[in-house]
Amino acid sequence: MVLVLEKLYSGKAKDVITLGGEKVKIVFRNSISAFDGVKVDELKGKGEANCKISKLLFEILNHYGIETHYLKQESKNELICKKVEIIPVESVCRNITAGSFCRRYGVEKGIPFEKPIVELFYKNDELHDPLVTEEVAISLGWINEKENIIIKAVTLAVNYILVAVFKKIGLTLVDFKLEFGRTKDGKLILADEISADTMRLWEENSGEIKDKDRYRKDLGSVVDHYNDIAFRLEQIKELPKIKLKTKVRVTIDLKVSVLDPAGDITIRSLLRLGYKQVSKVNIGKSIVISFTSVPGSKLWDVTETISNEILANPLIETYSIDFSFE
Amino acid sequence: MKIGVTKFPGTNNEQDVLRALSSFGIEGVLIYEKDTDKLKDLNALIIAGGFSFGDYLRPGIIAAKTAIMQELPKFVEQGNFVIGICNGFQILCETGILPGVLTTNRSTKFVSRWVYVKINKSNSVLLRNSENKIWRIPIAHFDGNYYATNEQIAELKKKNQIALQYSDEEGVISENSNPNGSMDNIAGITNKEGNVLGLMPHPERASFSYLGSEDGRTIFQNLIEELK
Repeated sequence: MVLVLEKLYSGKAKDVITLGGEKVKIVFRNSISAFDGVKVDELKGKGEANCKISKLLFEILNHYGIETHYLKQESKNELICKKVEIIPVESVCRNITAGSFCRRYGVEKGIPFEKPIVELFYKNDELHDPLVTEEVAISLGWINEKENIIIKAVTLAVNYILVAVFKKIGLTLVDFKLEFGRTKDGKLILADEISADTMRLWEENSGEIKDKDRYRKDLGSVVDHYNDIAFRLEQIKELPKIKLKTKVRVTIDLKVSVLDPAGDITIRSLLRLGYKQVSKVNIGKSIVISFTSVPGSKLWDVTETISNEILANPLIETYSIDFSFE
Repeated sequence: MKIGVTKFPGTNNEQDVLRALSSFGIEGVLIYEKDTDKLKDLNALIIAGGFSFGDYLRPGIIAAKTAIMQELPKFVEQGNFVIGICNGFQILCETGILPGVLTTNRSTKFVSRWVYVKINKSNSVLLRNSENKIWRIPIAHFDGNYYATNEQIAELKKKNQIALQYSDEEGVISENSNPNGSMDNIAGITNKEGNVLGLMPHPERASFSYLGSEDGRTIFQNLIEELK
């Protein structure tokens, strides 16, 4: 039997090769580029360093229950991952102002946010990966409402975990980019790479840049710093104990065909008080459940099961789910 | 003959049901949520009314998920009798053993009063010899507003499963005699096989003349005769 390998995708720094059994091989190359491909170079050892960082970070995230495409490392610059359909929207989480955020809003670099910020970008080189609102991403069909909720909550959870992990090795996580993909059965999981190319990391003490900004700013010894990140991650003997908490809100509404006596009584009162513009009142329920696990497709399925079995009666009620990670 | 009467936290009618049964010389057995092993010795189970587990989320839903109720479909399939009264009717709907659901009364008020119900031609021996009779019987509930899809209602009618309907003293079924907004004035229904009856009115509270009515005795009497 001849095994036909198909190159699924060839990017600026990686190749993705289709294997059998819903798996892919991700090959990390030494090429590096910046400013939409204006600046391009080959850096010896860069592919291996990013492959190692990705492997280590995916293993750490898997440890905390984040659903990722990572399966195993194949060679020094290759990972075996689950095959997914990458969605055209990437999420960026920011703890401190830097990069395009400063340019876009004219703010100074290095200001910490009170709460981490999540932004969505449309993956399109020709358009220079523009910022996109969730409303646009949904209405153009790039993601659906459920995926939007999962992306945001998972991004915040990943941030929470990685901030703690990097703190342990004396590094400050400034910002990072995540990509998500859909598995064959439609589950959204974390995909692509998480490496020094896709995040900003500063030395906690000196503020020294450890990430791809070294290349963008011509600071030199890029691969040495990448290797240092990998080395320090490898030295972690015990992962930080992190209290994970995902709040799931299930909102239950009566179907329109069902009598809503409480709503009817309330609208009568509102009209009596002179709010003539009120036309209908519906009274539903809002149930908040806290889970000691990370958000994701699995937790979404669990919430749906709970909602169908107990929280809502599908005969008379509809429900919607929202996640928040704290 | 062994008849079980359920007692969940918040059930408050089990003693009334036991008293009604004992007036026929039958000592009912109290059945708690974990008593699944006792089901095999029972010939019938009466799910007594009250507010199981506080009825906070939806009436009957928490009780419907208890171990004993999860075993109930099997018990019913074996042909045993099950009667759900008030909260018991709500529980049976939430388990899916009976179709539909009991929602909040149209008045948004707790309704506790005597009503009349008309007994229809029924597929259940529990209502034997009662066709077209009009019973005087009390109700006491906040969520007795029966709701089902039009297809489910049509199916219930076709199989003579609409056992009791709220009516006036003459047996006239109208909006005026509907105490809670139930679709088609439905006060009680049976399953397709006729061995499960769920009803909002309380037959155990209409089982002695000193209570003001003995009309509810018929259900217990039919049950006991059938089990003899």
